[in-house]
Amino acid sequence: MKPFFKKILQYYLKYITKLVLAIHKPVIIAVAGSANKTFTRDEIRKVLEKRGSNARANLKSFNTEIGLPLAILNLPSGYNEYRNWLPAIKGALAALFETDFPKFLVLELGVSKKGDMKYLLSVISPEVSVITGITQRYIESFSGMDDLVGEYKILAKGTKRSGLVAVNGDNSRSGEVAKSSQAEILFYGKSEKCQAKILEIERGSNGEVAEISVGGKIHREELGRFGEHHIYARAAAILVDKHIQSV
Amino acid sequence: MFERTKNLKLSVIKQMELRASKFPDVISLAQGVPSFDTPECIKRRVELALRDGVVAKYSLSPGLPELRELIEVKLAEENMFYDFEKEILVTAGSIEGITATILAITNPGDEIIIPEPTYTSYREVITLAGCVPVFVSLNEEKGWTLELEKYEAAITPKTKAIFYCNPNNPTGTVYSKEQLLELAKLAEKHNLYLISDEVYKDFLLEEDRRIFSLAELPELRKRVIRLFSFSKSYAMTGWRIGYLHSDESVVKEILKVHDSLVTCAPVISQYAAMGALEMADKDVAYFNRQYLKRRDLICARLDKLKNIFSYVKPTSSYYVFPKIIKDNMKFDSYDCPDSLSWGFALYLLEKAQVAVVPGVAFGPNGEGHVRFSFGRSEKDINRAMDRIEKLFKFT
Repeated sequence: MKPFFKKILQYYLKYITKLVLAIHKPVIIAVAGSANKTFTRDEIRKVLEKRGSNARANLKSFNTEIGLPLAILNLPSGYNEYRNWLPAIKGALAALFETDFPKFLVLELGVSKKGDMKYLLSVISPEVSVITGITQRYIESFSGMDDLVGEYKILAKGTKRSGLVAVNGDNSRSGEVAKSSQAEILFYGKSEKCQAKILEIERGSNGEVAEISVGGKIHREELGRFGEHHIYARAAAILVDKHIQSV
Repeated sequence: MFERTKNLKLSVIKQMELRASKFPDVISLAQGVPSFDTPECIKRRVELALRDGVVAKYSLSPGLPELRELIEVKLAEENMFYDFEKEILVTAGSIEGITATILAITNPGDEIIIPEPTYTSYREVITLAGCVPVFVSLNEEKGWTLELEKYEAAITPKTKAIFYCNPNNPTGTVYSKEQLLELAKLAEKHNLYLISDEVYKDFLLEEDRRIFSLAELPELRKRVIRLFSFSKSYAMTGWRIGYLHSDESVVKEILKVHDSLVTCAPVISQYAAMGALEMADKDVAYFNRQYLKRRDLICARLDKLKNIFSYVKPTSSYYVFPKIIKDNMKFDSYDCPDSLSWGFALYLLEKAQVAVVPGVAFGPNGEGHVRFSFGRSEKDINRAMDRIEKLFKFT
């Protein structure tokens, strides 16, 4: 796609999306981090849906400057074919009049270069942000880890004051990110500082089984999936759920 | 000298290709290569990775975490649940995955059972590992199905695994769930691994079908090693990229061999694989529709040669494996092993300049057959079949 057309499309989608969000006023839950975004996003959506809430999450990994509006508007990508963009262009306008727009949007945010987070936050204003962990993945386009961490600080800072920032407490840069926020900060993971603390993990025949302690209550979680990252995703989802219930 | 390689043979498919290359006007239906180019969205993903300067260095030995995470998501869509951090290994095509698997799970002298006819290179890899391939024939009359009693009879104390290709190359047929579950019972009874090569799983030429994989069953996760390659589904044979998955306890051993063999899969191809999983679903669906048309075309053309061939209609992959039923054909003059399928393939090559693969390449039970690939374009298929029809009109 020609850069000129891409820019026009990007701004068209951005402003329609902002208008759609202003009309429908969904609660936005942002999920960002170097790894485990998709599974965390899915766990949060599952928890919300279990409570009977209508929630929408990104299709595939639509999480960039064009992907994010598509995720919010629930539209397909035209990828590199001009004519394949027509349904998205028309559909974007139709979203203004959508009668059953979801109450919750659970949105993965993708950051691959400096400035990406600032742009994404010019489209959305999250009530809740989850930062799943920061590693050297995607570091290539940044001048160093500080630059990359800076993107997540922007998200923590950009989360509504009345909201929540849930951070993977086992990540060594997580504390630094948390300090940037004026919202409530909660940690999840195995370390002592975590409010959603993973106590026990055992591998069952159908997936991981974990005990997660939250506010003195122990949740026994059967994941139906294999891998510790699913337990972290579930712990994050418990914190998000608790916050949503409290407001 | 050359003790390890003396019993290896250059694949018959490659031998046919070498012979075919001497005929300037040859049409090759021999190699299993899709006629399509790699989809544009995959190339764009690679261009981006090149521009970002992320392809020049090794990745972690099991592969880029972001690719493995995408693979985990894809597997979950197919009802298979594996941990991307410990249970998914990105390989340099499926053949590297097969080699690493066999080297990891066997000791020299072990036996591996292979339902045949099946993919030619299995035999060579097993032999290279110092193991013994034990062929068990599929039942052609019943649509190339597994006959369980034959497997029970073939198992010895040295048997380590049953290694099958599903959908099967060269027959283009799919094993049913019931058959696979029976095979799994046998594997449990005799404590065997099940190696499932599913590189054609995306090509289903019948409506509403889905391939069942034993890797879907959590109780079998320590026993099943499943392999996939991007080569066929995404027209990426030259990129050499695939993956395998199994329980952590198995994959950690295979990883040691993989690391010794290749360090990591080519990083540029790992980015291509990410592009494939992120964006190429529509291309796979398009390829599938084209292969369905080509399957119907080649079957219609074979139907016109009923005095020469009989065949089981393929329901997957892009191969058909007809039996040569014409009598009284002599191929003594050809420089080849004493085999009807070899002679017939060379006869087609010399007289019609059409390259096919002799069935014996796929195991003893493949003798008397030839493999046609309909991965080629409709135009190539028509031209090749015109020549074969013309040849047999006058003989």
